Amino acid sequence: MTFLQPLLLAALPLIALPVIIHLINQRRYQTVRWGAMMFLLAANRMSRGYARLRQILILIFRTLAIAGLIFAISRPLASGWLGLTAGGQADTTVILLDRSPSMQEQGAGTGVSKLQTGREQLASMLETLGSDRWVLVETTAGAAIEIESPDSLRRLPSTEPVGTSSDLPAMLEQAREYITANNTGRTEIWICSDIRENDWNAESGRWQTLRDSFLELPQTVNFHLLAYPTDGHSNTSIRVTSVRRFETVDSAELLVSLRVTRDQSMEDSISLPIHIELEGARSELTVDVEGPTFELIDHRIPIERSNDRGWGRVSIPADSNSADNDFYFVFDRPQKRHTLIVSGDPQTAIPLQLAASISPDTTTECSAETLSQEQLATVDWAAVSLVLWHAPLPGKELGSLLRDYINRGGQVVFLPPREPGSGQFMNVSWNSWKEQQVAIPVASWRGDQGILANSQSGAALPVGELQIRRFCELSGEVTPLARLQNNLTLFAHLPTTRGGVYFCTTTPDAQDSSLTTNGVVLYVFIQRALAAGAAVLGQTQQLAAGAAAIEQPVDWKQISGPEDALSTDYIHQRGVYSAGEKLLAVNRSSAEDQARVLDDDRLAELFKGLSFSRVNDTAGSFEGLIQEIWRLFLVTMLIALIVEAILCMPRAMPVVEQSGFPRRSAETDADPPTERATTSAAATVTTS
Amino acid sequence: MSVNRQPRSFLNTGVLSRLAGIPFLARQPMQGSVSGRHASPHRGSSVEFAEYRKYVPGDDLRRLDWRAYGRSDRFYVKEFEADTNLRCCFVVDTSGSMDFGSGDVTKLEYARRLTGALGYMAIQQGDAVGLSCVAEGVVKSLLPKRGPAHLRTLFDLLEGAEPSGETQLVTVLHELAETIRQRALIIIISDLFVEPTLLRECFQHLRFRKHDVSVFHLLDPQEIGFDFKRPTRFLDMEGGPAIFAEPNDIADRYHKAMQIYLDDLRQVVLESAIDFHQVKLDEEYEQVLSRFLVGRTSGKR
Repeated sequence: MTFLQPLLLAALPLIALPVIIHLINQRRYQTVRWGAMMFLLAANRMSRGYARLRQILILIFRTLAIAGLIFAISRPLASGWLGLTAGGQADTTVILLDRSPSMQEQGAGTGVSKLQTGREQLASMLETLGSDRWVLVETTAGAAIEIESPDSLRRLPSTEPVGTSSDLPAMLEQAREYITANNTGRTEIWICSDIRENDWNAESGRWQTLRDSFLELPQTVNFHLLAYPTDGHSNTSIRVTSVRRFETVDSAELLVSLRVTRDQSMEDSISLPIHIELEGARSELTVDVEGPTFELIDHRIPIERSNDRGWGRVSIPADSNSADNDFYFVFDRPQKRHTLIVSGDPQTAIPLQLAASISPDTTTECSAETLSQEQLATVDWAAVSLVLWHAPLPGKELGSLLRDYINRGGQVVFLPPREPGSGQFMNVSWNSWKEQQVAIPVASWRGDQGILANSQSGAALPVGELQIRRFCELSGEVTPLARLQNNLTLFAHLPTTRGGVYFCTTTPDAQDSSLTTNGVVLYVFIQRALAAGAAVLGQTQQLAAGAAAIEQPVDWKQISGPEDALSTDYIHQRGVYSAGEKLLAVNRSSAEDQARVLDDDRLAELFKGLSFSRVNDTAGSFEGLIQEIWRLFLVTMLIALIVEAILCMPRAMPVVEQSGFPRRSAETDADPPTERATTSAAATVTTS
Repeated sequence: MSVNRQPRSFLNTGVLSRLAGIPFLARQPMQGSVSGRHASPHRGSSVEFAEYRKYVPGDDLRRLDWRAYGRSDRFYVKEFEADTNLRCCFVVDTSGSMDFGSGDVTKLEYARRLTGALGYMAIQQGDAVGLSCVAEGVVKSLLPKRGPAHLRTLFDLLEGAEPSGETQLVTVLHELAETIRQRALIIIISDLFVEPTLLRECFQHLRFRKHDVSVFHLLDPQEIGFDFKRPTRFLDMEGGPAIFAEPNDIADRYHKAMQIYLDDLRQVVLESAIDFHQVKLDEEYEQVLSRFLVGRTSGKR
């Protein structure tokens, strides 16, 4: 049990008052000379069980009454939040609110989402607990904001659902920054989340840093998690995996690929109607779904030939989570994919140019040109989809140019030059070349995601078949995508907020590797990077909600999507938006479709060493997580006082009349002749 | 008669004068040595006819009823009731507990008043009066005698009685039952703080010796009510160990013990056929004596 005014519990020793008063009273006795000792002795000899029990009970109930009073004024709380407010009212309360799409899942038969339930529960609970300062950290905000009161959670637009996934480590970091910057006192951090793996990023190295930083804080910080881990009931989501505009001689079509994902528990076969809306024109498609995943590849939708650009939406009937029941998409004529190869080595440049200029299909036009570093000043960067950099790492001027390109969403692949030099780009540099007598194969690579991911049919790229003879070591903070047998990096990715930066530690030169002879990996690698660059630089763009966009969201205009979305929140709300000439489709990230919940042990590890408590709640349950129960103690006190009063009540003296003599004797007086008649002699008994 | 020129604190002449009109009688025939106001088991020469009996040689011829001989031709002797005096023995408890009194008087003082008044009345009607003061034995004793001069001795003895020690009433009563000759009126004035079963034997012993036994059982109102509020240390007035008690805690059991005692005592009284009077100290002793005397009068013959 916890208390809102725990300091008042310091008065608990007062419960000993009845006992102390009793003992003092015992000391303040009077002395009386007494004749009728035989009755006192007889009374002492009689069973003292009840009298002693009564005396003990009286003391117990008096003690109970005082304890009840003290507990009542200490404002006790009934809850499962053990150690919730030990130490009294917090100085600062930080609320971390997960607004991700998965939090819109509704409880079975309630129509109330996890987010709504969590907000309401937090608001009512925190109103009860009280705090000097309230701070909100939510999914989309870049920093903690102070709010007026917990009631604001019910009203603020920034607590409404969004399409953006949460980044709990980042949110906790924001909370920590606020605590540090404002030098708060005792701080309570409340996290309301459905603890999805994609939101919590439990594998991220940031958690260790976070733990350490919170442990280093001088003030007390307590973490409380209001978790909604369970699924209300079965949920189905839909996602457009690709949209292509295909043009024939006399018509045009849209090839739309879909993926329907259901909960793992749903294995029954169902007919699922899919509504397709293309710029207001609706059509319906019914598919038979069996198993947890269903893929529809290249569903053809005829469009006007003149319709070069447009948007659409696919949707399925409502289920427990409305946030993943629709998906917006945009389409455009295929953009020309232009690759810029910066190299002075023809042996390497030729294979790269071939891989970059051969189009993967007839509708896509690809081109590539090879330039030296000196010629880069004349390049139209807006038309470049990919840069293959086979030269010493760029200096200050070229580096700035390249960073701008990357920040606009451009893709760059660095290959090691013959003379690596000592230059650095984004804290990454080439070391020295290493040559192996015997070619070494690739030991492992990321096939699940990234640029070397398996094909749509699930087939792995033949990365393992590559033979590497010469490679250049890499130093810097990069994410390896493929490793050689000696655990050295072959392909690596440099995390950036926008764009893509990749490193390949060997070249297509036949003396260095079999990238050219085994051209599939090189071709796919370059074409995927090229497609990613073209997608960003084209006139249409598919964005994951919350992902940084080229244009500022303030310039966006909503074409389709939730009507109540704030313009400042467009980047976080699913829908179709126009930004100048561009069409942007914003949807939840693909990770949101995976309903994997962080397991308890892993969660406990994340807060290891920190003061952490957790309670599970369910959507639609508005039973108070905490309740003040001072009334219960007040009633207990009253009952204790009443019982004590009853016990203290002097017992009636049945044997003594007003005159002080036995009733039976008095009755005897009333009929003395009869009494006398019963005795053999003339006995008389009189009383006064 | 002026037997008591010295004022006695326990004597109230007003009370004595008011009680003078009520005769102090025995409830059963007494064997006195002189003529008196009490019935005797023997035939005597009073004016009250008793019975006829056949003449036997040796009878005084003057007592033959010649009229009866004339009617029946047989000799009958006419007998009359005899009136005699009585020996009244007071047994006054002077143990320590008799010093208790929550009001104006102690139990011993009350006993003095009762004894003084009854002794005076007995002497007045020519009866012999004796006294035994009982504590841890017979502390003081005065053999029954008649005569106004004896009354002074009696009062002196009463006045000099001091309450102390434990009571050995049971032992003393057995002794008195054996030592008091002939039939006597034995008046016991005590708080009777002894086991009722022991008292039963005493009373039966006295009754066996054909004594007329009267008991004044003195109780103080506080002993009955036990209305203490604060924790109290009770010092035994008879020298026993002190007892510390919480009145609220022990009152119930005290009353229960007293009730048991009173019930037992009442049973003993009924079985022993004694004249028993329970007296509360806040009652006027004149009323007590009046009730005592009237009760005896109504039971006369």
